[in-house]
Amino acid sequence: MVIGIAIDESVDDVRPWTDGIEFPVLIDQQHTVSELYAISNVPTVIWIDEDNRIVRPNGVAFGTDTVTAFTGIESKPHLDLIRDWVRNGAMPETANAAVEDLSDDEVLARLHFRVAAHARRAGDTETAAKHFARAGELAPHDWTIRRAAMPLTGEDPFGEAFFVMYQEWEEAGRPYHGIPGEQAGV
Amino acid sequence: MVTVITDAERDVEAVLDGEHVLIDPTTLPDALGWELKPEGLCREDVCVPVRDRAALFVGERLDLAAVTAALHRPSVVDAGAGVIAVALPSEERRRALHDRQAPPFTLPDLDGVPHSLDEWRGRKKLLFAFSSW
Repeated sequence: MVIGIAIDESVDDVRPWTDGIEFPVLIDQQHTVSELYAISNVPTVIWIDEDNRIVRPNGVAFGTDTVTAFTGIESKPHLDLIRDWVRNGAMPETANAAVEDLSDDEVLARLHFRVAAHARRAGDTETAAKHFARAGELAPHDWTIRRAAMPLTGEDPFGEAFFVMYQEWEEAGRPYHGIPGEQAGV
Repeated sequence: MVTVITDAERDVEAVLDGEHVLIDPTTLPDALGWELKPEGLCREDVCVPVRDRAALFVGERLDLAAVTAALHRPSVVDAGAGVIAVALPSEERRRALHDRQAPPFTLPDLDGVPHSLDEWRGRKKLLFAFSSW
């Protein structure tokens, strides 16, 4: 089964994406799962077995090919791996891939993000802007921080701010906590 | 009143002294889920020894950030906004990354109904983190 974790501010943000979806979708307003599992971008998929053991850690993977033209990542190889695990118990090569822990700054960035989002909900946009900015400085390549802040600070997460962050992320060597997209099917 | 943010938000009675959030020791369980006992900071059957107990106090009150630091959980305070955000226990994340035990969590669905990972024990699961952004 699939459990969707929407790293989003409000239910209204999530609903347009869940039309016709049959699996449970939970909303993670405080980015709890992103901190507990060291998730730094979406989509990230984690395989968890019957005993709640992590079988394959954080990995970039897509359910469809709608963004393959941009990412170069096809959905089928990963879906084939999942079928082989579910039907035959087969472990993928990347089962034991290491996921780097969050740095102290990346943890602090999550705290500033939460303070900012709280202040924003209270209508205190000045405090919100200050803490969103600090969070972005502490974790400039963490999409769950910097890109997640874009719609909350009036920026377009699919516009100029996104491409600026994308370029910086590329120049930094595409940092990601988990199995990169090039290994989605491995 | 100060808002304490961990995996959820709760309001607790507190006094602000500069950037320090000071609370009555009896409200610590409400604020953080831990309480101060003679053997240290305790929750259920777990206790963390406190090396410098006096450092947790300002007068009769507990400095909440000092308490979370003693639990090895960093915090961020904004006194003007009346909020303190406290990191989740890092040992749960390390357990996930090293021992491969999935950390438990409880989150609401889109109708506000809370669900825990444990509800789906006994099934193979894909945790699929996504977002509107």
